[in-house]
Amino acid sequence: MPKIADQDEVRLTAGRALLLGMSLVLTLTLAAAVLSLPEDQPRLAQVALERLPESGVGNAVTAVLLNFRGYDTLLEVAVLLLAIIGIWSVARTARVWIKRPDTPILRAFVRFVVPLMPIMAGYLLWIGADETGGAFQGGAVLGGMGILWIAAAVWLPQRGGRALLRPLLAIGLLAFLIAATWMLLARGNFFEYPPEQAKDIILIIEGAAMLSIGATLALLFVGGAPQKEESS
Amino acid sequence: MTTVLPLIIVVPILAAVGAFVLPRWSFPVALVGSLATVGLAVALAIEATATGAVRHTIGGWRAPLGIDLVLDGLALVMVLLTALIGLAITLYGRGYFGRAAPETEKGRQAVYFWALWMFLWAALNALFLSGDVFNLYVTLELLGFSAVALTALADKPNVLKAAMRYLIVSLSGSLMYLTGVAFLYGGFGVLDIAQLSSLTRETPALAVAAALMTAGLAMKTALFPLHFWLPPAHANAAAPVSALLSALVVKGSFYILLRLWLEVLYPLAGTFVPQVISLLGVGAIVWGSLQAIRQTRLKLLIAYSTVAQLGYLFVLIPILALERDNTLVLGGVICFVLAHASAKAAAFLSAGNILQALNDDKLSKLDGLMRALPLTVTAFGLAGLSLVALPPSGGFVAKWLMLDVAISRGYWGLTVVIVGGGLLAAVYVMRVMGRLFKQAAQPEVLSALKPVPRVMEFSAFGLALLAIGLGFAGVYVLRLLEIGARAVAGGG
Repeated sequence: MPKIADQDEVRLTAGRALLLGMSLVLTLTLAAAVLSLPEDQPRLAQVALERLPESGVGNAVTAVLLNFRGYDTLLEVAVLLLAIIGIWSVARTARVWIKRPDTPILRAFVRFVVPLMPIMAGYLLWIGADETGGAFQGGAVLGGMGILWIAAAVWLPQRGGRALLRPLLAIGLLAFLIAATWMLLARGNFFEYPPEQAKDIILIIEGAAMLSIGATLALLFVGGAPQKEESS
Repeated sequence: MTTVLPLIIVVPILAAVGAFVLPRWSFPVALVGSLATVGLAVALAIEATATGAVRHTIGGWRAPLGIDLVLDGLALVMVLLTALIGLAITLYGRGYFGRAAPETEKGRQAVYFWALWMFLWAALNALFLSGDVFNLYVTLELLGFSAVALTALADKPNVLKAAMRYLIVSLSGSLMYLTGVAFLYGGFGVLDIAQLSSLTRETPALAVAAALMTAGLAMKTALFPLHFWLPPAHANAAAPVSALLSALVVKGSFYILLRLWLEVLYPLAGTFVPQVISLLGVGAIVWGSLQAIRQTRLKLLIAYSTVAQLGYLFVLIPILALERDNTLVLGGVICFVLAHASAKAAAFLSAGNILQALNDDKLSKLDGLMRALPLTVTAFGLAGLSLVALPPSGGFVAKWLMLDVAISRGYWGLTVVIVGGGLLAAVYVMRVMGRLFKQAAQPEVLSALKPVPRVMEFSAFGLALLAIGLGFAGVYVLRLLEIGARAVAGGG
């Protein structure tokens, strides 16, 4: 049994006492600053709610994420793709995923649950226009589905379909870019959707983003670039 | 014509996606992306000099609801600098990574280099043009992640450790910045920089925001004594990446710091915070130069020189925060940014050529390389001239402007530091140059040199010429900075 902590490691040394004191001062300063914030400050939420009818959707969060501040979300979706590219640039898949765990319970569970998950993701995406939901929630469900698949060795990134992975990861960002740039060229402003078509455009972008988010989350779980199965 | 403004962010992102999705075409895609981005930068420069500052309201939602992109003189100068250095890096990268197929290890690295480099370029343009403090956070994330991944790309044993440390520093810096954004929003209710500019007063929220954002951004810019992560990351990365990190990436976080003190945090100009930043800048010049003099490896020497040179960017912050309208003070700092970026990129690319030829960058092995690699050594020499700030070079003009500011306001201590820093730089540059020009070459070393692709030598030389050429462009830079100077002063 490895020792969890040495006696020396938990003793309060002078250096640690100093760090502790500094952290305490920082916490108190931050707390005092938070308490000093004005309470009657007008918030952006109010403005967003007032302009909600012009956004094409009924859910204020979706309106902010996909319309009012859609540009922020575009860059965040780019960060997601960048995360996968960054990980793939340093590591390839761990070979451990090739092993098929022979557990009937897992396989039965996967067979029962997985078909329901795309339906659930689609529902979350659709409902996101007016209620809580949207591309990130739907993408999280799809990501969970991917992880279950991989854990049960139903589908492995090594086993074909590799050619489709890169386009799948990129399609969300591409949909965002194309929609925003199209509006720029057609209407003169980046991201300026025509109000009557705003909902359709937002749904298409969200649908593509959901696929990419799902694929990204599942492949982050694998932890490296898929490689060709070696013929052994 | 304002349509060009978002395109200069869209085009490099498209190139990044293209390079990743079409691995076989990654270089052509990146080349087209680079050329198009440079073209867009030139178009923006023409438009802004003709019509003044440009503001693009994204989605048609005016601030405070939406996000604005703002191109004023300061942003334009940074976009143009990135375009010039970016083009040289793209050409150099072609020589560095060669034509290997994506199945080989070298080819695999090349695909990721092109995708990540295009993302980095997009992040820089987005950062320079952003008019919103939260949006700036997102651009910082994009910039930080692409820079860390690029650092980790080199296949060297130490590089992963350096990249990991860089990642942690970068993330902590971003989080401190984000906490500061939360305090700005809590205190003043908006995120748009121009609106914040007319609202900020000296309150506890502003003070805490200033402390958090300044510390976080100073860490990301490697301001002494928070520079510990920079030398291993910049020295171990692949040559084109080292040049990007030292020339442009640290300037990104500095640019945000500069904008904040000019437009949002200026009510605190009279407090001790800007004075502390300035003092740390002095510390960086002294400590970084002394460390550079002690190094025995070329790339580490250049990296410590970056630590020293970054110090100059901070020493004028107190004066800038007080005299926000003064284009001459801003001009001194920005000329230094331009001079350092081009000279440091040229120095790192030259070091990359030497490393490629020698397979080693120990200073003791550099004897007599002038005869074997004249173009590369000349490039390094010209870059060194600008780092030491001898006339005629960009570094000279920048220090001349800075000295003028310091003397006219009676900051004698600062004057001594600026002049003394140049002398220290002369010591470490001469240590390298002395070796390169030495007569007694080691014949067995020189005969075993590996060939260096011409494009790598020429792109290093081109950047060195830029570092010198800036010495004649000082007036032009000042005129560009005048564009929309009212916006810089918070009127926009």
